[in-house]
Amino acid sequence: MLLAIPALLTVFQSLFVVPADGIGIGEFTKIDNYLFLFKNEIFWATCLRSIWFALIFIVGSTVIGLAAALLLNEKFVGRMVLRGLLVLPWACPWLIVGIIWKWFLDGNIGLFNGVLIRLHLISHYKDFLSDPKWALWMTALAAIWRQSCLVALLLLAGLQTLPRDIWDAASVDGAGIIQRFRHITLPWLRPALTVVTVLNVIYGLMQFDVIFAMTQGGPGSATTLLSFLIYRQFFIFTNFGIGSALAVALAFIALIGGLIAVKTLYRKIEV
Amino acid sequence: MIYSVATGFVLWILFPIWYTLSSSFTKPSKIGIHPTPFWPENPTLNNYRIVLGIPVHGKNCVPGIDIKLCETAQSNVSVNKIVETMLHSFYVGALVVIFTLIISTIAAYSLSRYRFIGSNFFLNFTILSRIVPGLVLVAPIFIFLRVLNLLNTPWALIISYTSFTLPLAIIILKNYFDQISIDLEEAAALDGASRMQTLNLIILPVAVPGLIATGVLVFLESWSEFFFALVLTDSYTVPPLLAGFLSMQTFNWTLLSAATVIAIIPPVLLTMIFQKFIVTALASGTGK
Repeated sequence: MLLAIPALLTVFQSLFVVPADGIGIGEFTKIDNYLFLFKNEIFWATCLRSIWFALIFIVGSTVIGLAAALLLNEKFVGRMVLRGLLVLPWACPWLIVGIIWKWFLDGNIGLFNGVLIRLHLISHYKDFLSDPKWALWMTALAAIWRQSCLVALLLLAGLQTLPRDIWDAASVDGAGIIQRFRHITLPWLRPALTVVTVLNVIYGLMQFDVIFAMTQGGPGSATTLLSFLIYRQFFIFTNFGIGSALAVALAFIALIGGLIAVKTLYRKIEV
Repeated sequence: MIYSVATGFVLWILFPIWYTLSSSFTKPSKIGIHPTPFWPENPTLNNYRIVLGIPVHGKNCVPGIDIKLCETAQSNVSVNKIVETMLHSFYVGALVVIFTLIISTIAAYSLSRYRFIGSNFFLNFTILSRIVPGLVLVAPIFIFLRVLNLLNTPWALIISYTSFTLPLAIIILKNYFDQISIDLEEAAALDGASRMQTLNLIILPVAVPGLIATGVLVFLESWSEFFFALVLTDSYTVPPLLAGFLSMQTFNWTLLSAATVIAIIPPVLLTMIFQKFIVTALASGTGK
């Protein structure tokens, strides 16, 4: 209930022009706040950018996380060390992930550039975060860095319950490694994958801390996601009505995203 | 083959952290060297000294280049607030953990053992509210706290964090209680124990690993939370303080990196120690 009341209030506020002190509700404007948004190009562009960021984030962290989980499910020397390391990024608060990556990628002092130069991939230092073409990818990369570790931990927990004999039986029957992966491992992981994807959808769409630390929505508006727009409307322009409308829109997108994830992943279980 | 992939992963995980760590031992004057070195040249502890508020000895202050370093040791308050702020974070985190555990244990236990009218609705609602993100709720909470005059107090954070961590805690603990055999309880009931006594004496001791995992997760969440701490208080906990570094006039990455390293020590230690519990709890808590 502690959460339900604010949630309803947000919807409620989105229908009004709320005065800047936030006390009282001001003029009732029906759906004007929404109409304002829907007619606004910035809103649509930001929506698309948010969804794009979330997609990169979801695909990236799932692929890397799955790969890490598969790797750690094999036996090799140092496996426990690597498993311990997986916890490291996950223990970092999102904001600190942003800070760490901001300076790692920095165009003047960052080690990332130092590595690329040593590998002769670039000829001089390049500031990825102030390049509109790269900024969104790099912020997503930082977010993936943390999330993929959580994904790996969760999927690994799922993998370890996979009975070894099914896998062995399939390989006796002549199933190749790719076939075994597709027909045994993936179906087995599907419940875990569903959960992970829903989590990723939420974290991807709601990402604020990393953006705040790394780019503050810049350069220009290259990394201004819906979450950042909401923050600006609320606390910089104190425009509670528009901000709430944005928040409702974001929650709506997240809900749809979550539903899509659940539907696509669950349907395949029955097949 | 497998080792090269594994090495790749290790590098991917460690490089960013390594850079932060190595920067925190680098002298501010050595930070711009190209190509960026992997290893700090003449490592120094001064960054940590400044951040922790320990005065830097005079002989380390080379006039000219390091003059800022000497000054910040005494005068710049916002830099060496990290210790105080971490204590705040601990305080908030501890209270959030206590409140969350008390409420969620009772809620989870009743959800696990009773079927009351609306219990299914309540459970589904709890799961759903896990998905509604804080970002969407911030404005009403902000206004509530403003009306109650709690803005910029630790209670602002304690109340809002508790309401956010409750759903997760309830789900994890409910799954945990579900696995505890009901026989024990029936035996206790036969001996005349009341429900609350059963919960206190029989269930809680068995549920300690689940409670630890939940507590650690809740603590981590309140330690990491940035957005609410940013808008509801004036840099009361660690993340907004670190974010404040970014906009400082005399910004200094070496100092920030030292502060960052200090700030991630508690969560890293906690997760390292309780890793097993946490992963099991997370896997089961999200598995529903």
